[in-house]
Amino acid sequence: MSDFSRREFLKRSAAAGVASGVALTGFGRNAVASDVAQVGTMIDLTRCDGCKGLDTPACVTACREENKDRFPDPVKDIPDNWPQKKKEDWSDKKDLTTRLTPYNWTFVQNVNVEHGGKRYDLSVPRRCMHCDNPPCANVCPLSANHKMPEGPVVIDSDICLGGAKCRSVCPWGIPARQAGVGLYMKIIPGIAGGGVMYKCDLCYSRVKSGQTPACVEACPRNAIVFGEKEKMRALAYKRAAETNGYVYGDKENGGTSTFYVSPVPFEKINAELMKQKAAQSHPKTPGFPGMPVDMENFTDTANGIAWSMAIAPIAGIAAAAGAAYKTMKGGKNND
Amino acid sequence: MTKEKAIKNKIKRHGLSVLFVHCTVAISTFVLILTGLFGQFPMAGRYMINRLPGLSWLSDFSVTLSVHYWAAAVLILAITYHIVFHGIRRDFDMLPRKGDMKGSVKLIMATFGYGKEPENDKYLPEQRLAYVFIGFSLLILVFTGAIKVLDNLPDINFSRVFMLWTSLLHNLGTILIIIGIIIHLGAFIFKENWPLLPGIFTGKIDLEYAKRRHSIWYNRGFVRKS
Repeated sequence: MSDFSRREFLKRSAAAGVASGVALTGFGRNAVASDVAQVGTMIDLTRCDGCKGLDTPACVTACREENKDRFPDPVKDIPDNWPQKKKEDWSDKKDLTTRLTPYNWTFVQNVNVEHGGKRYDLSVPRRCMHCDNPPCANVCPLSANHKMPEGPVVIDSDICLGGAKCRSVCPWGIPARQAGVGLYMKIIPGIAGGGVMYKCDLCYSRVKSGQTPACVEACPRNAIVFGEKEKMRALAYKRAAETNGYVYGDKENGGTSTFYVSPVPFEKINAELMKQKAAQSHPKTPGFPGMPVDMENFTDTANGIAWSMAIAPIAGIAAAAGAAYKTMKGGKNND
Repeated sequence: MTKEKAIKNKIKRHGLSVLFVHCTVAISTFVLILTGLFGQFPMAGRYMINRLPGLSWLSDFSVTLSVHYWAAAVLILAITYHIVFHGIRRDFDMLPRKGDMKGSVKLIMATFGYGKEPENDKYLPEQRLAYVFIGFSLLILVFTGAIKVLDNLPDINFSRVFMLWTSLLHNLGTILIIIGIIIHLGAFIFKENWPLLPGIFTGKIDLEYAKRRHSIWYNRGFVRKS
């Protein structure tokens, strides 16, 4: 090693550094930003009355009609999720329209809340918020759940194994699981997987073909407005200013494509919803979301750690170059 | 052979850098598999592993994701260190050579008493093949993992098809690395390989064992690549 020169060392360091850098951090950045304008909705709670007089709100009926062909059709004898003796089967509750289920992707919650000395009867249409950086899609280990360039967050029912992690990380617990259907039934049913997750995809196929979502089209009071996301956000704040109201969905979970406008603070609506949930016969059953305010995105903490992965190769290169130089100059066997 | 390398009938096989890389790669990979299988794939809750004492955190996705990220950073540091360190030193003892496949078969046959074991260099042919297999699996995992990390950032959203393939490869890499680790550890079922174990903890192995089993390396005299 005595003839090992500084120049040779630098040459080798550069070559090794480039090789490891390419190998470890290289060519992953394909098309990141999309030129497609994102869509969103504004839901005006000063207009929605839950379709009083109808058995089922028009938006719910329209959603069910639009998506009926995509509803799950499970096998007759659905296996338990071994080793547990349970499964999630909603197939005998297909007509249920008072919560989110695999057969009901939107529903309307009704609350009576007091604000400023006045009581308000509010009807709140609920479904997926279509977050800006959806944790449900980010954490799906199969990438069966994805945020499309147009904004809707869509679950691929052909790939989903129904682990329900998406529901666990969703602040509203939106996706609903149906057992006995999907890919896991073709692999090792009962042993791995638990079904397929279902939720609103904002009528993605309609949106792609230039139509509005079925719920928007069906609303008799124009309480749900659909359009370019930024326009919906602006509209929500404009409407809130006009009604001295409040906006929900802009900050929550790091931002969403759904903007609610209400004449009362959403903290009060959430408190009332939590009361209703607690009073249910099975309060832990998913499908009855609250409206927690200003909650952070599930991936925020992890994203804060991501910088360490960018620094790690730099530290590795520096430390290795130092160690290699030391051993080679000293002629030590330190391999 | 130099004097200092044969103290107390032991011979130096690995330096500090190798011990550091092996240790950090082993620990970080174990943590990544644990938090990957039971955290990123929601198996801990499903199979009630979270009910075992001390393992309730495995079903807390926010904890497992953070630990997964930290462990990935450690793994990336170790892999970069390994590539750069050996790249600069032109130390390529671990890379497969022509005839390693045949040599591995001969070696395995000899382990079962069929035929004579070939003369070996510092590493056995099957070790060199295992190194490439494990290294390749780790690079798949690091590369696809980095894409997944980028995709999780607020302003980055890769295409659906790209992420489907990325996740598929990441999951495939996980299966490969688990197979690699099982084969790697499985080698120690055979008594013949036991003397190599102290080497990865202390850097030294038995001198007589080295003479007998790694004769090519021993006879080279440890001028540089000892």
